[in-house]
Amino acid sequence: MNDASHKITTSQTIGPFSHEAWKWATDATLPGNLKIEGPSILVGGVIHDGDGNPINDAQIEAWTPDGAAAEAEHAIPGFRRVPSGADGEFSMRVPLPQPATRGEPVMYVTVFARGLVKHQFTAVFLEDDTGLAQSAILNQVPEARRATLLARKTGDGQYHWDIWMQTEKETVFFDYA
Amino acid sequence: MKFDTVEPGTWPELIHPPYKSTVKRGPLQPNLRIEAPVPVSQNIAATPRILLPHDTDLTAHGESEPLGEKIVVTGRVLDEDGKPVRNSLVEVWQCNSAGRYWHSRDQHAAPLDPNFYGLGKMLTDDDGRYRFVTIKPGPYPWGNHDKAWRPAHIHFSLFGNVYAQRLVTQMYFPSDPLFDYDPIFQSIPDEAARQRLVSRFSLEQTVGAEMLGYEFDIVLRGRNATPMGL
Repeated sequence: MNDASHKITTSQTIGPFSHEAWKWATDATLPGNLKIEGPSILVGGVIHDGDGNPINDAQIEAWTPDGAAAEAEHAIPGFRRVPSGADGEFSMRVPLPQPATRGEPVMYVTVFARGLVKHQFTAVFLEDDTGLAQSAILNQVPEARRATLLARKTGDGQYHWDIWMQTEKETVFFDYA
Repeated sequence: MKFDTVEPGTWPELIHPPYKSTVKRGPLQPNLRIEAPVPVSQNIAATPRILLPHDTDLTAHGESEPLGEKIVVTGRVLDEDGKPVRNSLVEVWQCNSAGRYWHSRDQHAAPLDPNFYGLGKMLTDDDGRYRFVTIKPGPYPWGNHDKAWRPAHIHFSLFGNVYAQRLVTQMYFPSDPLFDYDPIFQSIPDEAARQRLVSRFSLEQTVGAEMLGYEFDIVLRGRNATPMGL
């Protein structure tokens, strides 16, 4: 058990007013401000609530640890921060580490929103990654829910991945041990 | 690092009906606990080059002094072993002394202050300490229910030393009469966990005749950090 004096600080919602404070990292995330050496992909989608309505005040953060070396000039290499738009939409360009067939997440994702009292961790895999069957993370996810973590290829270097906070499509969110 | 399961009642309830927007936004499935070495051993690299000159003095962003009570807020960021979380990015944001955010969606009929935006960021030092100067934020109505007023608070965003330590929370002020009526604060079942979000007045941190001091220590999840902080 932990010492009583070092019990964790709990979470509170990000609320609706984070955008100005978080903008410096959002700006650094804009495609025009990125200098990625090597291949990259665009991952986009929509974040939905339990009624299927878009969430228009979420903040989505992505982290591609293996891609950080490809963008050493970036304010925070390998990091992206995107507020969802009026229709719940978001997209971000991230480096694609090689080989892209590793069964590893193409990005680790953290979700924040008004009405979400604690951030949620998830991760995105590419559907055409031939290493998915050997994925150490996916193999810990019940098979029926794995599809919620797969981004669908929609074009050359383009992928679609939605976030569902609830419903039968609810995205798998993690607690890292 | 190692991340123990969090004691029941510590996290707020993801579905907490008195806070209406949780009902359709909180996940219904419990978080899936998994072993994944990267999130508990690596992190984004925050460097001093992202910091701007006045990021730790929120009263220095305008052409003159903002209105309200100038305060200093400081504290240490620690892990569950009590070890300092060093060189770690902290972002803060808040409304002004009248309870209004510098944000296009804030429609509260209180005045903006042209000298106060309420935005800051910093890195913790070798002792895990952060410190910033600001204006004490005001309470504000938020429309969740009749007479819904938020207790005064400052939003904190913390990156920790490994990715899985990420945390966004709110710091409150001592003896706020609105605590009992605030469903966001009350969404945390455990009384002690709620109280850990309340800063304490500090005469030691108070700066002469300039500003009162408040201390707010933050404990992030994780223990058994390697000696180098990762």
